[in-house]
Amino acid sequence: MASIKDLTEFVIQADIEKVKETTAALLAAGEDPLKIINEGLIPGINEVGERFKEGNLFVPEMMMSAQAMKAGVDLAKEKIEGADIPNAGTIVIGTVAGDLHDIGKNLVSMMLDSSGFNVVDLGVDVPADKFIAAVKEHKPSIVGLSALLTTTMPAMKEVIDALKESNLRDQVKVVIGGAPVSQAYADEIGADGYAPDAALAVELCKKIA
Amino acid sequence: MEKLISNYSEQVTPQLKWVTDAQLEQIHYATLEVLERTGIVVKNKEALKLLKDAGCRVEGEHVWIQPWLVEECLRLAPKRISVANRLGERVMPLEKNRVYYGTGSDLPFTIDLETNERRTSTKQDVVDASRVVDALPNFDFLMSHAIASDTNPDVSDLHQFEAMTLNCSKPIIFTAHNAENTEAIIQMAAACVGGVEKLKANPYIILYSEPISPLVHTHDGVGKMYKCFEYNIPVVYTPGVLAGGTTPVTKAGCITLMNAEALAGVVIAQLKKKGAPIIIGGGATPMDMKTTTTLYGAPETYMNYGIMTQLAQFYGLPNFTEAGCVNAPVPDVQAGAEAAVTILMTQLEGCNLVHDVGYLEGGKTGYLPFLAICDELISMARYSGAGTRISRDHLAVDCIHEVGPGGNYMAHPHTFKYFREEIWSPRFFNRYHWEQWLGKDKETPMDKAVKEVKRILAEHQAAALPEGAAEEMQRIIRQREEEIRS
Repeated sequence: MASIKDLTEFVIQADIEKVKETTAALLAAGEDPLKIINEGLIPGINEVGERFKEGNLFVPEMMMSAQAMKAGVDLAKEKIEGADIPNAGTIVIGTVAGDLHDIGKNLVSMMLDSSGFNVVDLGVDVPADKFIAAVKEHKPSIVGLSALLTTTMPAMKEVIDALKESNLRDQVKVVIGGAPVSQAYADEIGADGYAPDAALAVELCKKIA
Repeated sequence: MEKLISNYSEQVTPQLKWVTDAQLEQIHYATLEVLERTGIVVKNKEALKLLKDAGCRVEGEHVWIQPWLVEECLRLAPKRISVANRLGERVMPLEKNRVYYGTGSDLPFTIDLETNERRTSTKQDVVDASRVVDALPNFDFLMSHAIASDTNPDVSDLHQFEAMTLNCSKPIIFTAHNAENTEAIIQMAAACVGGVEKLKANPYIILYSEPISPLVHTHDGVGKMYKCFEYNIPVVYTPGVLAGGTTPVTKAGCITLMNAEALAGVVIAQLKKKGAPIIIGGGATPMDMKTTTTLYGAPETYMNYGIMTQLAQFYGLPNFTEAGCVNAPVPDVQAGAEAAVTILMTQLEGCNLVHDVGYLEGGKTGYLPFLAICDELISMARYSGAGTRISRDHLAVDCIHEVGPGGNYMAHPHTFKYFREEIWSPRFFNRYHWEQWLGKDKETPMDKAVKEVKRILAEHQAAALPEGAAEEMQRIIRQREEEIRS
């Protein structure tokens, strides 16, 4: 029978069927589901993240590995009762009001998700009050704001101001991104971080979560 | 007179085709299938109503378009759009295989000409780019190049238009925030040509608007387009995509999806107004699967434009593509290679409006001297595209006979007559022997381009506006600011 160690390798290979088969077999043999997640599946996705960072893996391969990991986690979860599923932190993310562009934000969402974050994606054209409601509901450690248009960049500041007014600013870190956004702009509007691309966004979130 | 030759055929310019008509038909059928089966999302109420009234199946914002309606609207769209400059000269007819080059719009960052530091773009950068494009001989139209980040964001598009039209009389492709600002820009342009009627008769401005891939047509994107049609202003309505992200990764799939978005735009346009001047195409760029950046200076991009241009010609509609837009962050050897290949290919493909020329860092950073280098590349591409003359005098057998074996051609009248047209001369590229180059202080093409840009900025003046036009534009900007405030 395949071992927990093999599971790691199947995640790296993005072999969804083998991850499912192996996870099911291990569970049937009485293996601890938390151990399957923590020692089998998560090390696989961590290794994929490393290889991606080094430039040895491409985005679609990472996405497929994430799907393989999730397929395993979903099976293991069924056997866990009451216990918290481990994750790297919760992030509420969205494209700010007036802006309908979501490819960059989606990439960041998927890559954070692949890296073990619990991602609450609010979609596009998200007004400040919706961000506030989501922060109250999901209690994230990070809020991610995206804008492609220079005209919608000011809406990022509006979200930060709204967080202050709702006395929530101290409870979350705010990170921003998008083509026209820069570190200087992040400093100007009082964001906690800026990342120029999706891979660096994941690193940033891991650092400040 | 030369004696006539029977059964003679000539190829005056090189012919470049990527696919056959039968393959174009396959792409067309696939496109119709997407519009009929998958459908589109339309977030503009007026367009939604027009589509419903035309018999489309509509559920909420989701619309399915029947093939007959697409074919009908393709028939209505103009096959030729005449574009003038600010002086009313009809300089840019958008007809099959006529190629025009221009800048891109809205670069957030600029490499400063004096400090060589990368900084946020300002209105002065739009002014400078406009003057440079006005002076460079191979640029045919202007887009803002930079963003006027130091102006009120509500009306930064108006400021950009003011900076452009004051400092350049070439045709302008503008971007606008929404339908209201589009109206204001049209009024500004009207002031520059002596009124709305003159602008309608000889439009010198074109709107650039876009659907959002995959298959979403926004309230503002369509609203801006509709505003232009009220004034006979042509509209570029093309998506910017990331193949492998917002479209299928295959080239044929990417082209099919973009074509579906473009043809949906044609339907949305023709339902608003029969004969509405719409220009199709799209930014056919793949996603880099390591860095997630948009690949502009890549082979896939101009390969896609080869087919998309053929598709536009198949429909008989003007099209919009790009070249000279590079992924290199600075104007280095990579930038030169990426720009040269894409510019040459678009010239040979016969694309109509080729924009984004001179973009660095995948469309985030600008550096004015790189525009001058691209001007040289366009000159080179146009020279190649003009083809090789084969006539009795060009075959030069009399000249060969006169010089004879062992002679030379340097002092022959035939050489004197033809050398200027038969050997292309660069303005910036170096062709010195080593010692000559040392004598020129090892001056690089970029050194020369910097000098030329500085000369243009010091000396060049665009053709003047009619009296009162500049003041009227400022009045319109102030008025629009007040409207937004209240």
